[in-house]
Order: sequence, then C-alpha cells, then structure tokens
Amino acid sequence: MDGGTLLHALNLVYELATLALTTLGLAVVFGLLGVLNMAHGEFVMVGADSVVAVQQWGLPTPLAFVLAAAVCAALGWVVERWLIRPLYGRPFDTLLATWALAMLMRKLVEAIWGKGFRHVENTLTAAVPLLGTSYPAYRLGLIALAAALLTGLFLWYRRSSAGLRVRAMTGNPMLAQALGIDTQRLASQAFVIGVVLAGASGVMLAPLIRIEPGIGVDYLLDAFFVLVVGGLGTFGGFAGGVGLIGGSQAVVSSIAGQTSGYAVVLILSILFLWLKPDGLFARR
Amino acid sequence: MDRRHVLQSAAAVSALAALGPARGAGTVKVAVMIPQSGPAGLFGPSAKACAELAAEVINARGGLLGQRIEVLFGDAGLAPAEASQAALRLWKGAGAAACIGMHDSAVRGALVGLFKAQLPYVYTPVYEGGECAKGTYLVGETPQQQLQPVIPWIAAERKPRKWYLIGNDYIWGRNTNAVAKGYIEKTGAQVVGDEYLPFTVDNFDASLARIRDSGADAVLASLVGGAAVGFNKAYASFGLTDKALRLGTMIEENTLAGIGPENARNLYASAGYFASLTTPAAVAFANAYGKRFGPQAPALSGLAESVYEGFLTLETIARKAGSLAVARMDAACEGASYSGPRGAVTLRARHVEQDVYVADVGDRGFRIVKTFARVASGQTCKA
Repeated sequence: MDGGTLLHALNLVYELATLALTTLGLAVVFGLLGVLNMAHGEFVMVGADSVVAVQQWGLPTPLAFVLAAAVCAALGWVVERWLIRPLYGRPFDTLLATWALAMLMRKLVEAIWGKGFRHVENTLTAAVPLLGTSYPAYRLGLIALAAALLTGLFLWYRRSSAGLRVRAMTGNPMLAQALGIDTQRLASQAFVIGVVLAGASGVMLAPLIRIEPGIGVDYLLDAFFVLVVGGLGTFGGFAGGVGLIGGSQAVVSSIAGQTSGYAVVLILSILFLWLKPDGLFARR
Repeated sequence: MDRRHVLQSAAAVSALAALGPARGAGTVKVAVMIPQSGPAGLFGPSAKACAELAAEVINARGGLLGQRIEVLFGDAGLAPAEASQAALRLWKGAGAAACIGMHDSAVRGALVGLFKAQLPYVYTPVYEGGECAKGTYLVGETPQQQLQPVIPWIAAERKPRKWYLIGNDYIWGRNTNAVAKGYIEKTGAQVVGDEYLPFTVDNFDASLARIRDSGADAVLASLVGGAAVGFNKAYASFGLTDKALRLGTMIEENTLAGIGPENARNLYASAGYFASLTTPAAVAFANAYGKRFGPQAPALSGLAESVYEGFLTLETIARKAGSLAVARMDAACEGASYSGPRGAVTLRARHVEQDVYVADVGDRGFRIVKTFARVASGQTCKA
C-alpha cells in the first residue's frame, strides 16, 4: 500500500471511528429505551466545552473527562427522572421534550460563554510520519480508543449479567419486572450511560472540531442517519449503519466531491426509511 | 413562522401604520438589521455595540442632518422573508428613515426588493460584488478589493506556483474564487484545483487529501465561519501549514479564535479592518469602544466594525445631499468621502474605495503585515 492509499484508508477509518463514538450514546438510549434523545448532540457539546473550561481554569486536560462525565451524568439522571420517565411510551412527546432540552442547553452555554467559537489547545494534533505518509497522532489515538471502547461495550453487553438484565428489560419489560428486575433503575442507568458516552466523545473530539453552541445538531443528524440505516438495538445494525453512512460519505466525498458525499447519505437514509424502515438488522 | 405569527405581525404592522410614522421632533430613526439569531448570531452583540457607539458619536457632533439618531434593531439572522418582515416593521411601523444592514446576501436581496429605493440602505459586510440597486450603498470589501493588490503581493513575497481554490458553495465563495483566478494567472502561477463545499460539511479530509495530492503551495480559502474553523484546524493537523500558505478573505477575529493561533501558521487574512490595526484612527475607535462598553465588551471584528462604517457612510452622503431622500442621496454620493477607523473612504459607484490590510497570525492574533491604500471596489454601477 503506498502513502496516498494509506492516507485515504486512515481517513476512512477515522470517519468511521468518530461516527461510531458520537453515535454510540444515541444508539444506547434509542436502542434500549426507545427514546430518540434530540439533545444528544448537546451532550457532545457539553463534553467539548468541558475541555475548554478545564483548560481555562489551568487544570490538566484529562480532568475534562471527569468534568464532562459528572455534568452529563447529573444532567442525564435528572432529565431521565423528570422529563423522560413521565413520557415513556409517548415517543412524539419525548421528541419534543428532548428537543426543548437541546435548545435550553444551547442557550445556557450561550449565556455562560457567548456564541463565539472557542478553541482547545493540544500539542498531539500534529502529524507524525507513518509508512510513507503522515497522519495526525491524536487521530490515531482516537481510532484506537474508539476500537477499544466499542469492543469493551460489546463484550459487556454480551457477557455481563447487567447486559442480560438490559436485554431482558428491552425484550419484555413486564416480564422483566415480574422477575424482580428493577427496570426503572435500569432505564435510568441506561440513559445516564448514553449521555455520558456522548459527553466523553465530545471530550475526545474537542481538539479536532469547531466548538460553538450550535455544533450539537451536526452530531444528532449524523447519529440519526446511522440509526435509520442500521436499525435499533443490535450491534450488527450499529456497525452496519456506521459503515454504510460513514463509508459512503468518506468514499464518495473523496471521489466525487463533498456535495455528492452528503447527497449520498441523504439518499441512503430516505431509501432505508422507505424500503427498510427497520434498518439492516431489525430486532423486531 | 406559523400562521398565527404571520397574522399577529401583520396586525401589529397595520396597527402601527395606522398611527403613522411616530417621528418625534428632532429625532431620526435608523433601522439596523443585524443577525441576532441563527449561525451568524455570534456577530450580533458586537455589531449592536458598534451601532450604538456610532449613533452616540454622531449625536455628540450634532446628529444626522441636525436630528438626534435613534437606533432600532431588527433581526437579520432569519430567513429572508422573515427578516424583511422585521425590516418592514421598523420602516413602515416604527418610522425608520434609513436602514443599515450587516447580514447575508440573501437577506440583502429581500431588503432591496422591499425598500425599492424608497429608503436609503447601507449594506456593510464583506460581499461578492454586483449589487447596483438605487439607494443601496455598499461599504463592505469586494473580492476585487481583497484580492487584486494582495495576490500579486503574495506572489512577490512567497512566490507560490500552484494555487488551490476552495470555498463554500454559494455566491460569495464562488465569486471570490472566480475573481481570484484572473489575478493568480496574471502572476504567472497556475490554479491546480477548485472546489466548493456545502455548509453542512464538517469533515474536510477528502478536500485536504486533494490539496496535498495537487502539490499546491498556496490555498485560497473562501470559507465562512464554522467551515473556516474546521478546515483550518484540520489543515494544520495534517502538517500542511509548511507545505502551502493559506489566504483567507473571511478570517476575522472570531474565526481565528476558533482556529487557534497555533493552527494559523502561514495563514494570511485580507480585510478592510482588523481589531489589531495600529493606525491612529483605528486605535482611537478601539479605545472609544473599550471605554464605552468596558472590559467585558463583545470582541471587535471587521464585520462588527463595518456597522460603524455604515453609519459614517450614511452621515457623509446625507450631509452632502442635505437630505435622506434616495434620489438626492444617489445624486450626491459619488465622490463623497470621510475618514473613519478603516482610514480614508470615498464613495464610487455606490461602493467605496478603501484601504485594505493584510495580516498574518502571531501568538497573540493578527499582525498587520501590509497596507494597500485606497483600493478600488472594482464595481461599475451606473448612476
């Protein structure tokens, strides 16, 4: 493989890794609870803003993970308890309520830091030589981290008893409750995990992306397309969605330009909604 | 906007119109259309502050044609139809006698159609050129102004042989790059790539790979806001900063804050104003702004400051015409001139001849590296 091909391959893998990272949280919440969290992107924004805040306070950057996890977990718990729980089984109302939450979070961030662009310092974003080409070191780390995170989560979901209980809950909530599984607590945990994952992805992406209060929508849209294509609640669907959306966008963009790349994503999503509304690997 | 809102605002407009323009004795109302919401909303606070400062400065020296200016703000960050509703309320409803606008070209098109040369309208931001509507005065930098002297200067300083042009896919990005092509070819250099990105793009890897493969040693980036931030950050992380210099025509202070100075090596910006200008007039303006709005004031940028220039332009033409009537202002505007924060500004063909500055980026932001005096707008509107 020559340098140019490797660069394109790495770009493709990077696109898939970031898409997987930012979609994972939404997939957990949507797949397990059936709640389309429209404020998902805003939790990614909270993550990115945590890095800015930690750097402003002069603290070591990795503390941003702690800050983002704490803020997202607290917010997620409160939101699940008082906004989502009363609306389970009312998907459209949940959609509106979480959209309102998204706007509220955007406005709060605007009130604290203003609407301007902010910036995170990072010395690792520079390119390092790699097999005849060069690639930003931070991106390579991010790809490795995403792979580790996904593998870990997959194993946990398959092997642990917590994963079993979650699957029981989503498979048949009434029966799960009858078996003594505390489905309310489980739902709360799943939501918190989902938004903390979103926040963590924001922390990881912060040095690479633009940071301003409006970025949430980008991540919500991409994540939504992945779920439309992949379907809900299976790892295969998630991987398929990420591969198809991220892959076609990256490949078509490099061959035929960015406009065509984006158009292909939209067309794919429409075709799936129309012809395969349950996605690649439907659970139902 | 839903139907109820349309009805409500229509009712409000007609009620206000029935009362007639409530023009107080000795005051003149000026509508200022700036983005207060939407993606450009981040320029709202600083643009608003510049408008307020301009009105106070003009009022302190006797007002607009002897009348005290009262500023009315409208949101231009909306869709053109809604922004023009807001402007209509300020004009017919509240009785504004002039309009100053800092917003996108789509809204400008709607406002030109709304005012139909019955209201003097000063459009202030960087724009693509080509607007010749009567009663419309354009003080923003045109592509010709930003590039005609700058590309030969870069050619002499840095000797690039291959330029890659990239821009957002709309009239400003495409016009700016089209104009640039002519100037680049005149320097003997070659254009090796030309591409336009939709506003939704936030991953620039494909474009950066093409730039790398093209062997370009200079890149003209006519990207706006978030796209400029994302592109330039990724550009630096791929180590392209030392391979090819960058020239941006919409890299202002907010955009640079998003990019980060360490990602802006070999990046040049061309504009009529930078907050870091050290000319006496610019320093006096920045000090007055800082004194008026305090240390927490929204950061100055070329776009915000253009609103201040808009007021000075309006004042200058109105004084020469002795009126705010469009016919008299149009007749009088040619050759009208004033001296403001940007330097000496002269109206030609309802556009302005102004100084253009080139900045590069150091650890603490923009550094002015070259000044071109009195650059023509390159626009030829007939009187």
